[in-house]
Amino acid sequence: MTDAAAPASPAIRDGSLFAPDAHTRRRNAAERRFRAYGITAVALSILALIVLLVSVLGNGAGAFRQTFIQIPVTIDAKIVDPKGNRALDEMKKVTTIGYGKQLEASMLAAVAAAGVATDGLSRKDIAGLLSKEAAAGLRGMVLENPDLIGRTITFRALANGRIDGYFKGRVSMDSAKLDSNISPAQLVLAERLRDAGLVTVAFNPQFLLGADASEVRPEAAGLGVAILGSAYMMIIVLVLALPLGVAASIYLEEFAPKNRWTDLIEVNIANLAAVPSIVYGILGLAIFINTLGLPQSAPIVGGLILTLMTLPTIIIATRVSLAAVPPSIRDAALGVGASRMQAVFHHVLPLALPGILTGTIIGMARALGETAPLLLIGMVAFVREFPAAPPEGFFSPASALPVQVYNFTQRADPAFVERASGAIIVLLVFLICMNAAAIILRRRFERRW
Amino acid sequence: MDDIRFAERDLCVTEAKIAARDVQVHYGTNHALKDVNVDILEQTVTAFIGPSGCGKSTFLRCLNRMNDTIPGCRIEGRLTLDGQDIYDPRVDPVQLRAKVGMVFQKPNPFPKSIYDNVAYGPRIHGLTRNKAELDEIVEKSLRRAALWEEAKDRLASPGTGLSGGQQQRLCIARAIATSPEVLLMDEPCSALDPIATAQIEELIDELRAQFSVVIVTHSMQQAARVSQRTAFFHLGRLVEYGETGQIFTNPHDPRTESYISGRIG
Repeated sequence: MTDAAAPASPAIRDGSLFAPDAHTRRRNAAERRFRAYGITAVALSILALIVLLVSVLGNGAGAFRQTFIQIPVTIDAKIVDPKGNRALDEMKKVTTIGYGKQLEASMLAAVAAAGVATDGLSRKDIAGLLSKEAAAGLRGMVLENPDLIGRTITFRALANGRIDGYFKGRVSMDSAKLDSNISPAQLVLAERLRDAGLVTVAFNPQFLLGADASEVRPEAAGLGVAILGSAYMMIIVLVLALPLGVAASIYLEEFAPKNRWTDLIEVNIANLAAVPSIVYGILGLAIFINTLGLPQSAPIVGGLILTLMTLPTIIIATRVSLAAVPPSIRDAALGVGASRMQAVFHHVLPLALPGILTGTIIGMARALGETAPLLLIGMVAFVREFPAAPPEGFFSPASALPVQVYNFTQRADPAFVERASGAIIVLLVFLICMNAAAIILRRRFERRW
Repeated sequence: MDDIRFAERDLCVTEAKIAARDVQVHYGTNHALKDVNVDILEQTVTAFIGPSGCGKSTFLRCLNRMNDTIPGCRIEGRLTLDGQDIYDPRVDPVQLRAKVGMVFQKPNPFPKSIYDNVAYGPRIHGLTRNKAELDEIVEKSLRRAALWEEAKDRLASPGTGLSGGQQQRLCIARAIATSPEVLLMDEPCSALDPIATAQIEELIDELRAQFSVVIVTHSMQQAARVSQRTAFFHLGRLVEYGETGQIFTNPHDPRTESYISGRIG
């Protein structure tokens, strides 16, 4: 880098302007190389992003569509309400086995009515096309609306995961031969039923609204509890981390004396931002669950841990945006006789607001995707019950989106791969929404000075 | 220096508004101001001149305690406003700054509307009871700052959208809206073109009727044009203080003479 102050060499003085000399050529080549590195780096990142999106979308899009078997079901009062008094307590004693039998009979009748050849498949095999969850779905419907008893309804039952996999290309005739859960003959029947219009592949709202399901019924697994749990935790993080973080940074940036203690605090906040998240999980387990006795798997504990994790990010972002407000604005406010607090709240804070909001939302987006600390506090548990409305719901067990992804990937049935990718898509949509909100807020509050 | 046009010197009032006695200012280990003794008179424009880093801005910022915000700044000696020590622990700097307004080197309007800029001071000090009174103060301040004609139709538009000279006049309007007794100006024209400078100088001369104005300036012509009294600072000391005409035509101190004739600084 000695080219700055060198006197013009004879080569430059005598050379033509049209022919660059050796030194200029070297400099230009270096610049071209640097640009090439940059373009390569950008291209590689874009490629990686495309590969990720294609693989996630390719795997996960199927989770939003599900194979349904539509059959007329007559709800027999003798089975579902043996005492005939329509008392909900009595009716609840009838288990899914009773409903299963009824569903089996309806299925056989529907297949016969459609005139589809069954090639000598047993009753059990034909009913096996239905999901094990279908009976529970029917039971839930009846308990919710006892007026259905005695009537014939068109019931849209979930198909077995293997049948669903066959229509989505996951299961083939060859793999069915080796599969104890499904036979090629059943697949043939499923295809005939599709041609007869009984089997359809349609959008499945239960994937977003329903609860998780057990290992053997992937077709019924949903994200409802996880989405709710994540939302509860985000509420807790927002309510706790934003005021605490902003107050702490305003104090440190605008009021605190600059001495050894504040330096120490500053260094430690920067360090906390770099602490691995699992450490926060252990801390939360020790303090919130073991010492304070808060319930396991509860969004309140997850929210508190994520708050601790997000606070340093928010404090750092807020301090940076406070420091970026020109001192002339503070001088102007103090000069007309504003107190320091008035100067901060009337003038500095509004100007720093876009940065604060962006920092908060980015911090929350990170917290939303955080898995490790939640595993330690038991949010990895299998939760089928929806948490109640806040504030009680903060204390009941729930799952979280990233943990649900992890959960799905741990299960043996290949149908859960699709579910996991679907959950990732939902998570990504949430993150994109939050980042979009950050950009919009930034645009709206941004003011020039 | 024949072209210097001296302001008329009708020093009707000779009461000291601000009195400084043996003022010392330290920034950490740096002794920035030494033994400053000065009486700033009422209804007078006082100019502080001197080379960069001589302490004139530091002294100006002592007068309304703006130095309080600078960490490591220590002030000794006695500074009084109307006989009251402004560094007395009982003094609330907020109240002091309402009495001693300030205009800064770079125009620094708030990123709010022109109206809100001027109304901010009266609002936080609770000077008005209703909107009509506030409107009146805003109009009066803008008129005095010679900005009313240009701004009256765009009071709701942002103050940052004005030109540099207009912004500085807006800052002056903002400073006088709280009816201060002293107006401090820290090189108010250094970021402005000659036309805007001339407008501001004219304004300063008019403001003298109500306020005691203290102006720091790098331009000796400006000091000669607008001020009745001039203080010359050099290396943290007040070298000479007196009537502007005397300082510029017949300085007692050889350093003042060297500076004014352009040999040092």
